[in-house]
Amino acid sequence: MFGLIGHLTSLDHAQAVARDLGYPEYADQGIDFWCSAPPQIVDTIKVTSATGQQIEGKYVESCFLPEMLASRRIKAATRKIINAMAHAQKHGIDITALGGFSSIIFENFNLSQIQQVRNVTLEFERFTTGNTHTAYIICQQVKAASAMLGINLSDATVAVCGATGDIGSAVCRWLNARTDLKDLLLVARNQERLQNLQAELGRGTPMDLDSALPKADIVVWVASMPKGVTVDPTTLKRPCLMIDGGYPKNLDQQFSFEGVHVLKGGIVEHSLDIDWKIMSIVNMDVPARQLFACFAEAMLLDFEQWYTNFSWGRNQITLEKMDLIGQASVKHGFRPLLDLNRQPLTAQAS
Amino acid sequence: MQSLETETTFDYQSESYKDAYSRINAIVIEGEQEAYDNYRKLAESLPDHGEELLRLAKMENRHMKGFQACGKNLSVTPDMAFAQEFFAQLHRNFQDAWAEGKIVTCLLIQSLIIETFAISAYNIYIPVADDFARKITEGVVKDEYMHLNFGEEWLKANFEASKAELEQANRENLPLVWAMLNQVADDARVLGMEKDALIEDFMITYGEALANIGFSSREVMKLSAQGLAAA
Repeated sequence: MFGLIGHLTSLDHAQAVARDLGYPEYADQGIDFWCSAPPQIVDTIKVTSATGQQIEGKYVESCFLPEMLASRRIKAATRKIINAMAHAQKHGIDITALGGFSSIIFENFNLSQIQQVRNVTLEFERFTTGNTHTAYIICQQVKAASAMLGINLSDATVAVCGATGDIGSAVCRWLNARTDLKDLLLVARNQERLQNLQAELGRGTPMDLDSALPKADIVVWVASMPKGVTVDPTTLKRPCLMIDGGYPKNLDQQFSFEGVHVLKGGIVEHSLDIDWKIMSIVNMDVPARQLFACFAEAMLLDFEQWYTNFSWGRNQITLEKMDLIGQASVKHGFRPLLDLNRQPLTAQAS
Repeated sequence: MQSLETETTFDYQSESYKDAYSRINAIVIEGEQEAYDNYRKLAESLPDHGEELLRLAKMENRHMKGFQACGKNLSVTPDMAFAQEFFAQLHRNFQDAWAEGKIVTCLLIQSLIIETFAISAYNIYIPVADDFARKITEGVVKDEYMHLNFGEEWLKANFEASKAELEQANRENLPLVWAMLNQVADDARVLGMEKDALIEDFMITYGEALANIGFSSREVMKLSAQGLAAA
């Protein structure tokens, strides 16, 4: 059995969902309540592989909300993730993906030091960040979507924003090794990590965001756009492909300009309908078919019975692992989302 | 991103710490004393389980002595009058239910609510306790899971017959827990125990117990949050 640990995108969203699902005790409650709310299994999921194999999973709502980080309620935020993991383990789930901010919180706050949760000793091999599959899918999206837009990779400059993160570095590694792209721009805040990445790749130019954007034919975002940053759309190349691999996915509102194509990054489509309710709650366009690639990783690990923390730790994603999860992804009927925003809105959206 | 403070040091001998400890320690001692009395009463009502219940009662008595030693170790005199008042309403509800022969209500109050309250408080306390109290509390918390389990198993075996009474008893008693937590939130904070962490731990353990007994996830969510919004 696989598991998915997820959360909602904001307090407003959480309140609306609680109301829709018929939990008045949870709707209309402020952030204090959510800081105390326990994890819940809110959905049971059935997935059929393209091979015909069937598996079952559970969706664990952690009750984490991004406002907890914004209001510096860090302990509450970390408790949500650890408690959701304990909940998944207690329910006998073999492999669970840490979705949304869960894996970021786990990594940044070094939660592997908290192994004892009440009467549960967390077995970390039962969890995966899902980042290997996410990185693989983003790379496939770069390849396929650029071809659709007539961007030739051998003439193209790709900027990776959040290049030194777990997913970002894996994307850089793969693009560097498996494509003949012309130039790779590395955008991240930590200079030391940037230097290390550049040394590892043997190429790539560290650059700040403002300088990188006008040079890029393709921009891969795996970090959210810094607040307060405004981009002059006239400086962007045309066509320009933006892969929105951050969370939540809101770049299409930032870059709704003619000739700028935004693709939801790290999203897969399954070839068969998935029996679940939760993806309509997280606002997928096609809820029965579309899902986060990190969630799909838990499904793939369950299909293949690779009960191991396939993606774990920072910057451990190898090309071999991306190939392996990629083969499983294709075999079981997942494909990268390629629903390009071909008719962008006009510039009215901010 | 911000850093997570995992270690905080306390001045266990400061006046403010000892002042708060005098009330929290008293609550724990009183809670164990009442648990001792309650299990002895339940042993009379459930003679088939009499031996086991008396064994649990004895364990609670041992815990009480352990926590008295924790207070002594910090040279703190527990404020027992405060603690008796703190438990008064829950105590009265148990007594009334017992007098009316409502075993299900008695088990909900003692085996579910009070045990879960203790387990969550002890779990949150252990990482911030002084060395002496930490060792005692770690030993106690293992026992408390066993006590919770007694109530769970009995109610599970009698679930259909108990369901309506459990819902009613939950409605009457769970809001008292939120009020009790509010009453000691400031003292608990001085000891390094955050109110939202206490509530969360309570809801997790209480919810797990309700689910084991037989309630659906939807019912668990409703029951375990009952009255929290108004608290």
